[in-house]
Amino acid sequence: MNSQTKSQFIAVASITSELSAVMVVAKEISLAAANAKAIAFRAGDKAKGFQPITDFINELAKETIELVTNINVYALLLYRLTVNEYRRTAAYNRFELVGKLAVGAQYADSMQEPITHARTIMQDCQRQFKRDVTQLLGQLEAVMHHARAARVIAANSRIEASQAGEYLQSLQAVAESVDKAAHTIHDNVQRCRIALSIYRNS
Amino acid sequence: MKMTKIYEGAHQWVMFGRDENKPDNIIDSNQYIVRTANKCLLLEPGGTELFAPMMAAVLHHAPVEQITDLFASHQDPDVISSLGLWDQALSNAKLHAPALWEGYIRHFGCESIEYVPIPDNGETIKIESVELQIIPAHYLHSPCGFHVYDPVAKILMSGSVGSAFEAAGAPVFVDRFDVHVEKMRYYHQRMMPSNQAKRAWIDKVRNLDIDILAPQHGRMFKGDDVKRFLDWFDSLQVGTGV
Ligand SMILES: [Fe+2]
Repeated sequence: MNSQTKSQFIAVASITSELSAVMVVAKEISLAAANAKAIAFRAGDKAKGFQPITDFINELAKETIELVTNINVYALLLYRLTVNEYRRTAAYNRFELVGKLAVGAQYADSMQEPITHARTIMQDCQRQFKRDVTQLLGQLEAVMHHARAARVIAANSRIEASQAGEYLQSLQAVAESVDKAAHTIHDNVQRCRIALSIYRNS
Repeated sequence: MKMTKIYEGAHQWVMFGRDENKPDNIIDSNQYIVRTANKCLLLEPGGTELFAPMMAAVLHHAPVEQITDLFASHQDPDVISSLGLWDQALSNAKLHAPALWEGYIRHFGCESIEYVPIPDNGETIKIESVELQIIPAHYLHSPCGFHVYDPVAKILMSGSVGSAFEAAGAPVFVDRFDVHVEKMRYYHQRMMPSNQAKRAWIDKVRNLDIDILAPQHGRMFKGDDVKRFLDWFDSLQVGTGV
């Protein structure tokens, strides 16, 4: 296996591992939202501005989980494609070697067709991989977008929390945990994108 | 890759082996083809490492599109791990291999090649007008294995039975049986698990008219050496690994 195939395998495998961490964090946000909702309910009027925010956070967490679930399915397809591309490339290289070794053999020419066919399939695989990576990068961008939105909401939550009297601390803690989670998601997804970006369609 | 024609009639048998470019740490193996007018059967196609030299060697005898049939005596990688490559090179081929091993052999890659499962009691396969008997050789050494007998060429391709490990470049036929015995003893005693299975196989094979016994490793046996081999194997205690 050459180093390019190796790093392609690693890039694809890293998506799944980074995303499983994102999933955990997104579930944490969803939990924080439920927690915040309960506090805001108890706080009544003092946390009036906070209530719609908790719904929004919850929505955002749900959407992120959904997105990541879809991306995971896609990442698995990408992994299969990588395996297939590896297999096709290995075959093509061997076929070329056959061509060289068979020089002078009576039926050497008959190898031309399998060589051409293998080359076409290998190139198709490479193109398909680039297309799929570009699409996956788009999906990852959507998750980043959610993470950025969550950070803005967290900032707003802090302001709202400051007006919640004795609930200030617990609501601030909620805002804090949303912010932290959004930060983690942002970083993990960013790492995925960097690992994949060299394979995108230029 | 060395090529030796071992039968020439209305069809041909060619033995391939002693590949000089083979990496030292993989075992040398013999491959065979049965060539008819428009078809070519590849017996024991070999490991992945062997694919390119083997395919190149076959091209001296048949064009790619006429390689229509493959045979694997059992599931081992030195016999058939090249399958995934043949699978991508051949557009219209069948693999005749033990039914019991289908789910295992498919791990090597078998998408375009049709897997034709051989039942436990063997069968006959036809390559154009050539009829080949597929003879059960279970527990020799694989729990499910088969040999190929050609009654016209009087050749028995005997898979693991008769195998020996030789230095690179050894001759393809046994020349001094008494010397050769020592190269086979350990392999047969250690790899063959069952005296009972051995007996059943010998009883069957003694009834065949054999000019050449052609194993997957080492040298082939010709003429009187075939009977010498059967007598020697008959008296050998196997299954010594425990
Ligand atoms: Fe074996």
